[in-house]
Amino acid sequence: MALTITGLSKTYPNGVRALKDLSLTIGNHMFGLLGPNGAGKSTLMRTVATLQDPDSGSVQLDGLNVLTQKDEVRRVLGYLPQEFGVYPKMSALDMLHHLAILKGITNKTERTQMVEALLQQTNLWDARKKALSTYSGGMKQRFGIAQALLANPKLIIVDEPTAGLDPAERNRFLNLLSSIGSNVTVILSTHIVDDVRELCPRMAIISNGQLLLEGAPTEALNSLRGKIWSKVVATDDELRALETTFKVVSTHLVGGLHEVRVHADSSPGDGFRAVESELEDVYFLNLANQAKN
Amino acid sequence: MAMFWEFFTFEMKFRFKSISTYIYFLLWAVFNFLDVASENFGPIGNNNGKILLNGPYANILNDIGVTFFGLIVIAAIFGTSILRDFQRDTIQILFTKPISKFAYLGGRWAGSFVATVFAFSGLLVGEFFGTLAPWADHSRIGPNHLSWYLQPFFSIVVFQIFFMGSLFFLVSALSRKIFIVYLQGAAIFMLYIIGVNAFGATRSLEHFWSAIFDPIGLRYIDAITRYWTVVEKNSLLLSWSPHVAEGVFLLNRLFWGLIGVLALLAVWKFFPMSVEALTARSSGKRAARAREQDIVEARPRSLVAARLPIVHQIFGPGTRFAQLASLTRIRVANILHEVPFWVLLLLMMGIAINNGYFAGKLADRNVWPVTYLMLQSVEGGAQLFFYIVATLYAAELIWRERDTQFSGIHDALPISETTDWFSKLFALCFVELILLTVTMFCGILMQTLSGYYHYEIFQYVKELYFITFPQILTFALFALFIQTVVSNKFIGHGIVIGVFVITPILFNFGWENTLYLPGQTPPYIYSDMNGYGHFAAALFWSIAYWLAIMAVLAVISIALARRGSDDAWKSRLGLAKQRWLRLMPAVSVLVLIVISSGCWYYYNTHVLNEYLTAKDRRHIQANYERDFKKFENVPQPKVVAVDANINIYPERRSFDGNGRFVLQNKTPQPINQIHVTNQFQSVTNVKFDRPFHAVSSSPRNLYTIYQLDTPLGPGEKLDMKFDVGYASHGFKDGNERPEFAYSGTFFDSSYFPTIGYDNNIEIDDPRRRKEEKLPDQEILPHRGDAVGSVTNLFTPTSDWVTYHTTVSTSDSDSEGQPQIAISPGYLTREWHENGRHYFTYDMGDVKTLDFFAFLSARYDVTKEIYQGKENPISIEVYHIPQHTFDVDDMVAASKAGLTYYEKNFSPFQFKQYRIMEFPRYRTFAQSFPNTVPFSEGIGFIGRLEKPKDIDFTYFVTAHELGHQWWAHQLVGGRVEGSNMLSETLAEYSALMVMREKYGNDSMHRFLKHELDGYLRGRAGEIRKERPVVLVQNEPYVWYQKGGHVLFTLADYIGEDKVNLALRNFLLQNRYANANDAQSGAYPDTRQFVEALRAQTPPELQYYITDAFESIVLYDNKAVSATVTQTPDKKYKVTLNVQSHKVSADGNGKETPMTLNDLMDIGVFVGKKNEEKPLYLKKEKITQANQTFEIVVDQMPTRAGIDPYNKLIDRIPDDNMIDVTKQ
Repeated sequence: MALTITGLSKTYPNGVRALKDLSLTIGNHMFGLLGPNGAGKSTLMRTVATLQDPDSGSVQLDGLNVLTQKDEVRRVLGYLPQEFGVYPKMSALDMLHHLAILKGITNKTERTQMVEALLQQTNLWDARKKALSTYSGGMKQRFGIAQALLANPKLIIVDEPTAGLDPAERNRFLNLLSSIGSNVTVILSTHIVDDVRELCPRMAIISNGQLLLEGAPTEALNSLRGKIWSKVVATDDELRALETTFKVVSTHLVGGLHEVRVHADSSPGDGFRAVESELEDVYFLNLANQAKN
Repeated sequence: MAMFWEFFTFEMKFRFKSISTYIYFLLWAVFNFLDVASENFGPIGNNNGKILLNGPYANILNDIGVTFFGLIVIAAIFGTSILRDFQRDTIQILFTKPISKFAYLGGRWAGSFVATVFAFSGLLVGEFFGTLAPWADHSRIGPNHLSWYLQPFFSIVVFQIFFMGSLFFLVSALSRKIFIVYLQGAAIFMLYIIGVNAFGATRSLEHFWSAIFDPIGLRYIDAITRYWTVVEKNSLLLSWSPHVAEGVFLLNRLFWGLIGVLALLAVWKFFPMSVEALTARSSGKRAARAREQDIVEARPRSLVAARLPIVHQIFGPGTRFAQLASLTRIRVANILHEVPFWVLLLLMMGIAINNGYFAGKLADRNVWPVTYLMLQSVEGGAQLFFYIVATLYAAELIWRERDTQFSGIHDALPISETTDWFSKLFALCFVELILLTVTMFCGILMQTLSGYYHYEIFQYVKELYFITFPQILTFALFALFIQTVVSNKFIGHGIVIGVFVITPILFNFGWENTLYLPGQTPPYIYSDMNGYGHFAAALFWSIAYWLAIMAVLAVISIALARRGSDDAWKSRLGLAKQRWLRLMPAVSVLVLIVISSGCWYYYNTHVLNEYLTAKDRRHIQANYERDFKKFENVPQPKVVAVDANINIYPERRSFDGNGRFVLQNKTPQPINQIHVTNQFQSVTNVKFDRPFHAVSSSPRNLYTIYQLDTPLGPGEKLDMKFDVGYASHGFKDGNERPEFAYSGTFFDSSYFPTIGYDNNIEIDDPRRRKEEKLPDQEILPHRGDAVGSVTNLFTPTSDWVTYHTTVSTSDSDSEGQPQIAISPGYLTREWHENGRHYFTYDMGDVKTLDFFAFLSARYDVTKEIYQGKENPISIEVYHIPQHTFDVDDMVAASKAGLTYYEKNFSPFQFKQYRIMEFPRYRTFAQSFPNTVPFSEGIGFIGRLEKPKDIDFTYFVTAHELGHQWWAHQLVGGRVEGSNMLSETLAEYSALMVMREKYGNDSMHRFLKHELDGYLRGRAGEIRKERPVVLVQNEPYVWYQKGGHVLFTLADYIGEDKVNLALRNFLLQNRYANANDAQSGAYPDTRQFVEALRAQTPPELQYYITDAFESIVLYDNKAVSATVTQTPDKKYKVTLNVQSHKVSADGNGKETPMTLNDLMDIGVFVGKKNEEKPLYLKKEKITQANQTFEIVVDQMPTRAGIDPYNKLIDRIPDDNMIDVTKQ
């Protein structure tokens, strides 16, 4: 499975240009999609998930034209939208069976096995007969994950899947995703950089509908190795001073003090110490560069 | 206070910024605009041509209607004012601020109140602009009185807003759920309808308590204005005085005002200023459940992910079916899991069961709840719900995925739009089938409970599943389409309801064509004689046509179905283009069905049959009058003998044949032109036995003038021969002729040629005449009029005739059964020939009116011989096999009538009296000579549950038998008053037969209904009321009033005296002109009054003047009654009574009269309505206020003046009062 996105553009009726001539190739692996809010991630994912058509460009999934052969794509698709609701008063068990039938799993034994496995896997087994509308946010999210994985999808698109999950459930979910195996294309959109680092052999950063970076997280990290410096300052004034002189990547509050990370080829000066580069630095630097251009 | 002001102004600002406020305003403005500007719109416009469209009564009625249908608007404004804070979660911000409960609740309430009053004030504006509309009927628009606008608006509408609004406010504040508020609105609406129906069906004449507890007004308006005449309706407002109509309006307003105040107090007392609602306990339970879940969650679990099993996906037709089934199941479950559906279902059952209970209780009698009546009741009640559910759930189904935000997942599933759409349709169908089935069970249940066990399941199935269901389906498809196209569910609701509401309005405006009124089907009537009969074809094709049209829209809905996240029309049309190719074949087939069914319908209704709207038909009548009225008094010969050969073809709903009239010139001049009216275009080939030629004809051959080459001399006779026939072709768009049925043909002499101008064809509704620019209709001439006096009232073209006919019908009709053909006269010969059954009827020597009929149906016959005074009389009832309920009763009534009439009036002129059933397409019984067609709609299924029940069939049978004397022996001239000579006297005769059966005491109840009927009748008079002996065309005068006053006269001067007067009158005047060669005078009411006066003592002559020759009303009232024990162990009652007497003119304008009248004064024992007289004596009443002292032997309970309501009194209930101890 390979997904080829070529020259995708989309402008909404209100004038927002969500995608600007975006091209991307995604192979048989987990692919992380990073970007700030409004970057066009969801638009891109919905387009791939057959839910909307671009103004121009094409999307190919192996031999399939995603834009015209929607039904064929939907058969191999597992999709978890960023936000979704459920029918009230319908249990997870009923709903998964229903969705499994819609996904063409007509053999009852197979269907039951799959539904039960997913319920176990997403830790919803005990609550399987409860109405979905009574689920907490995290439970609902896990239900979303379960329904996306029905029918061994070849193309999995998950939009912000870990939002709303507690750390344990997040880990479990990531484990599950990574165990799904080979020959599956997974697109994972997130703004949690760690998700990508832990999971994805390849990633892309998009912002304002444009592709900023595409590659393996390790490559990106390598390119920054030795170029990230950190300094701790106490006051806002000091922080402001640093901002004007250096290329500040990010700041964190640590015990009430500002820890400032700066990008520089060599040590920027006193008080700075070299630190390990992180994927987050890659992300922020790319966004900052785009803003400058 | 400042804070109150803050909330108040906030609420006002919010409301006046909201578009909905102005929409409501506009809605009411348009509503009242049309009430005034269009005669076909409001309750008044359609009602009575003399009531001002902007008069006080119109305003009262419109205001009540508006507050009823506006409940939902009141709920929407008051109900949401508090809920808004909860819905938008501003409550957390608000309640953490230091605000007082009074300011918060008061401000919100007051703001809502003002906004609602503003919205409803659209009524006033709309009405005002309506009076300016140039096309409106300005003869019915008076000057605009401010008080006529404002008094009803404030005392009805604003008041209603106050207490209803407060109730909604209370419920919404305490429950904090909009759903409950709307539920409350719907429940009040439904329960009110149930209540009013239930009350109406009890036929109670109670008007006090029911009016006070009425929250809407339909009962109190009835209690207060039911007898208002035109003058009163155009001048009186609902008075707040405690003295008007027993203070009903004041008490009603006080009661409901108090309810409103209590609601406000309750809200202030119980409203918790906290996030938790009063119903917090159940949410506490929910929280506990959630905690439990969290505990389960916390159990330790391995972090290692297990491998998911491998599954196989199969996509093919089988899967498509499985998908459809699963989707449908889920969608049905979604609906069934929600409370609103069950609430709707329960309300529907409530109404259906309630209506079902009254299925056998028609307006004035009890009948067996046969299946068509039961269906009419339960389905009639449930129908609205079928459409509400279709409207609501079409929207829910279309929008469900978006509303629940499930569309992200749903739309990316590998299902086709068609599968998805069909699952929505099937879910809707499933739910509707539940409703239909429940309706059926309600009907069967109610039949069982009322003791009717003849279940006709097949009829239920036909009606509900094969006629109603396709119509709902049509509507549902339309609603699904609209919801697909519009961008918002509520706009969709608006359009769907709009189309539903506008269709009947368009129909009223003359847009009657089934082919362009969405979802329209032509009207049909089920009959036990005939099933769905000839209506089936038109019904089938109209349903097929509309179903196919809506199916085309359905395919378009599939093409346009929203899928994915892009709702822009550009992308939807793009998707539609992609889907269109697959949908094309279906569309082609459907369009083909639309075209072919539409063409077939058009061919039948416009080509095979002439298509005429109601207005077209009136136009034809009007043209007839315009063109030929001038010939009305041209002397014409009279029909003196009728001979006809008629062949009825029931399976074709047709007949043909020929006839022969013998005409005689009964005028002193020669006649050289014969004029023939041919109302139904059924007459052809007219020939006379001497040379003649046609001078002129008219469109539709309505009127032809023939010139005789040699004039017909005075006294000379002429033979006229003609062919006659009518053939039904295909089906019509409604307006099927009721005369022709597969079983139950019944047509009369109007299908034969009418000699001269026929004024029965004239339009008699003054509004319609105005529309056609015709002058006021000429009323019957005065008594003694030169032409009118010598003309027969009923058959102006004839005096009396001899009658002979041969009529045949099929031996094997549409169901392969033999039929019996009947016409007046004695059966003299009967034979079979060529698969037909021939009957020859002959009247012998007895002369009859030129008024005959032909019937044919599959009959059972019940015969009994009654020994009459001069001959044995054969009493025969022709009925269908399953209608045996009333047969014995009809025979008994006939015997009782014959006995009474032969004894008191004169011998019966015939040797047979036959009653025959005909289909309920028309509901009357009509007396032809010795032959009475009686509709299955008013007889044959009668039922008596309690011995006290009024036996309507018995009454009608006796009434129609009475006409064998009062019409078929004695007929008046064509002058004012003559109608009472047949109708009043037949009514009186029947009342007397009833009295023989029930005794005097039960007659009180019966007479009270007669009185009520008269008073309501005069309140609805569209022309002018006339006194009994001058009656023109006022049935309530010639039936109810006439019967009542003559019955009272019999009480005052004695039954024998009245009967003697009638007998003398009859014997002197019967068969006028029967044997004369020249038409002389017919009797009129002058001779009748003379005959009455001759038997009436001088001191009661005034009663004849008052009751028969004038319009006189009494207002009698018992003011007080006290009792003391006398020393000799007797009881002395002191009774104070009031009495007023007025005379009224034709419009109801009253002038006081002086009293010098005899009235019953009575003292009774027993409780109300079961009084037994201890003392009853007629006393002379001369004072407005008089006191009587009466000594009786027993302790009395009730006393009063005119206790039996023998006199006409608009408040009959206050004539008696409880006796109190002193």
